[in-house]
Amino acid sequence: MLMKKFKSFILGLVNVYCREFKLVTHDIGIMLFLLFLPLAYPIIYSLIYNPELVKNVPLVVVDNDRTPLSRELVRNIDACDEARVLGYAADLPEAKKAMDSHKAFAILEIPDGFAKKIGRSEQGNAVLYSDMTLLLRFRGFLMATTNVMMEMGSELMTKDINLVAPLAETIAVEDPLPMNYIPMGNIRSGFDSFIMPGVLILILHQCIVLAIGMAGGARRESRYLVGYNPHNNMKSVAGTMLGQILCYITILVIPMIFLIHYVPLMFRFPMAGSLAEEMVYLLPMVLGAFGIGYVFQAFVTERESVFVSWVVTSVMFLLLSGLIWPHYDMIGIWRYLADALPSTWGVTGFIKIASNGATISQISGEFESLWIVSLVWLLLGYLTQRFVVYPSIYGRKSDAKKRATVAEI
Amino acid sequence: MSDYKIKSGAWAIMVRSLVQIVRRPLMWVAMIGLPVFLILFVTSMLETGLPTKIPAAIVDRDGTSLSRSVTQSLGSMQMVDLKLQANSFSEAKHAMQEGKIYGYFLIPENFESDLLAGRSPEISFYTNMVYYVPGTLLFKTFKSTAVYTKAGVAADVANALGQNPAQLAPLMQPVNIVSRPIGNPLLNYGIYLGNSFVPCCMQLMIMLTVCFALGQEIKYHTSVRLMRMARGSIFRAVYAKLLPQTIIWWVIIMFMTAWLFKFCGYTMSGSWGWLILSELLFVLASQGFALFVFCVIPNLRFSLSICALTGILSFSIAAFSFPEESMYPAMSIFSYLMPIRYNFLIYSDIALNGRDIFFSRMWFVAYIAYIIAPLTMLWKLKRNMLHPVYIP
Repeated sequence: MLMKKFKSFILGLVNVYCREFKLVTHDIGIMLFLLFLPLAYPIIYSLIYNPELVKNVPLVVVDNDRTPLSRELVRNIDACDEARVLGYAADLPEAKKAMDSHKAFAILEIPDGFAKKIGRSEQGNAVLYSDMTLLLRFRGFLMATTNVMMEMGSELMTKDINLVAPLAETIAVEDPLPMNYIPMGNIRSGFDSFIMPGVLILILHQCIVLAIGMAGGARRESRYLVGYNPHNNMKSVAGTMLGQILCYITILVIPMIFLIHYVPLMFRFPMAGSLAEEMVYLLPMVLGAFGIGYVFQAFVTERESVFVSWVVTSVMFLLLSGLIWPHYDMIGIWRYLADALPSTWGVTGFIKIASNGATISQISGEFESLWIVSLVWLLLGYLTQRFVVYPSIYGRKSDAKKRATVAEI
Repeated sequence: MSDYKIKSGAWAIMVRSLVQIVRRPLMWVAMIGLPVFLILFVTSMLETGLPTKIPAAIVDRDGTSLSRSVTQSLGSMQMVDLKLQANSFSEAKHAMQEGKIYGYFLIPENFESDLLAGRSPEISFYTNMVYYVPGTLLFKTFKSTAVYTKAGVAADVANALGQNPAQLAPLMQPVNIVSRPIGNPLLNYGIYLGNSFVPCCMQLMIMLTVCFALGQEIKYHTSVRLMRMARGSIFRAVYAKLLPQTIIWWVIIMFMTAWLFKFCGYTMSGSWGWLILSELLFVLASQGFALFVFCVIPNLRFSLSICALTGILSFSIAAFSFPEESMYPAMSIFSYLMPIRYNFLIYSDIALNGRDIFFSRMWFVAYIAYIIAPLTMLWKLKRNMLHPVYIP
């Protein structure tokens, strides 16, 4: 008896799996989400940020000092990778005009008496007024000025120190305390390598939710409008879900490998982890995304409404992932929301494996949380299907047998 | 469609359009729920301005009074929370891999004795640049700690040589460049991200609702009736159909402006009038963009796909974080394709930098172009409205 039941369950599962394949491949909308989205989107996205570093941001100089030293300062800044001196302005208003007409993004003002002060062993102060529209430009200026300050400082110190303290030369000739900075994970400190690994995972997440949502919308619409019979059920609701999930995962395997292996390979993102480990880690996130998709189906009454109601949530998922704003510093409510999403754990864990070279055992805490969160979402998905979606499509009192037959027409 | 007389004229279409919005909970979500949620979400997320107390570790391989004083001065920094006193490099590295810390500071063995003997020990610091913001902030803090340490040592040496350390101080940093960040002196991340991300979300939703509303007419073949109500004028049909949406979006966008610049107190140093005009035109320009897309591709799903794609890509291609001039030239031309780019440039000119409208005049012209562009393609939309074909 039990054997027979099991056999019919497997048979039903195979039926659902095969039929779902047919349905999905006949729906261009879903195919677009499952193939175009993960294949084309990351390439466009990565290309935008691919130059990685911000270089040669233009600035204008107002030199009120006009000494060899002030000119050396300007030359040194111009020599920096990050900044480029566009030219000299006669005074601040003229420099401001260059900034106002979007030709330059900062003004370096060197005050009168700059060199004289340094010659008197005082500190010479220059001011850099920076446009703050983009933080990356400001960061570039900051790097350039810090480097120039340090370099010129040690140069001048070597030259002048004997005047102050004849024996102090020992501390100046050789740098008494060299500093060594090593950026980890994203070793070039590039913008592409910072944002894209997380975005790749979010693309995977969103393409699953959108595809499942659209498939759910199709079931509520007239089959004449959709162009095919979108119903595909077996007696057990969980069995139906399992069959569908297996079908989608089969389709997604290649896009997924492309996303997490070949895109980083093409654009030289950090790849410290092994593909197998990354796939194992991401499996629960994929399942969790299906769970969210099944819950989302309760709100989708039409195939196309997934665009209007879901696409913009990507922004929310990105901000909650902890990539832009660190997770520990989020305010309470958003931290709890972030913890409840499979995408947060998916993104953090993937980054730790792929960029920082952690192993799954090192991030077992995240892995466990990811499993728990994903299983909870799958359960919620099941409950939504069982008590909200099915009754609303097939009527409150429909029996499982009747549902299963709808699919066969 | 029956033959009985139907109410016609722009007013009737507007009423019909409004009823369609009111009757569909999805439109409530798309036009009020999600936009308001996102405005509140993004701004409250970035409320603190900059993350502080970034978890970090120190690896003190020396264990002398000097290395301990370095540890102390690092621990007293506002930006750093010394979570871990690691015994070895690998312990700290593992903690970073596990995400417990964002960076670490390494004091080598024999640090104090090497330093005093002039053997130049090397201080190293490591930050996790996978997380850009905490990584960069930590780098700044580590670097200044190292510089202070160096200055302290030099002062000690001078003292030992019988010189007044105060005399030596300017020599440690003879050239000083003070940076003055205009409009955002505290480097508030909210000002930087909120002012670009929130309007970009609005652009996405505005575009999607335009395509959705028009596409529905074609999907359910009600566009024929709509054209009859408009007495055959496609222009009347479209503007009357979209005007109720425009008005709702104007209200939302005014709420957004008030929320960002009044409630959150983001920098607003220019003319309110021009900024408000820019926001109002921005709604029209986004609608114009979507309408143009829909005129060219009068297919519900396809036009929604295009708007979703471009709307999400806007977050990066419109150059809010990575400057347009640093992108590949072939990519950067697309930056100027989206209305949000002009919204961002006008915001930067007027609100952040308080510039005269003269410098933003071209961005306003761009808005107008977006509004006029779809008019050239309305003929195609008319054909499809009269003979609607739904492609699933």
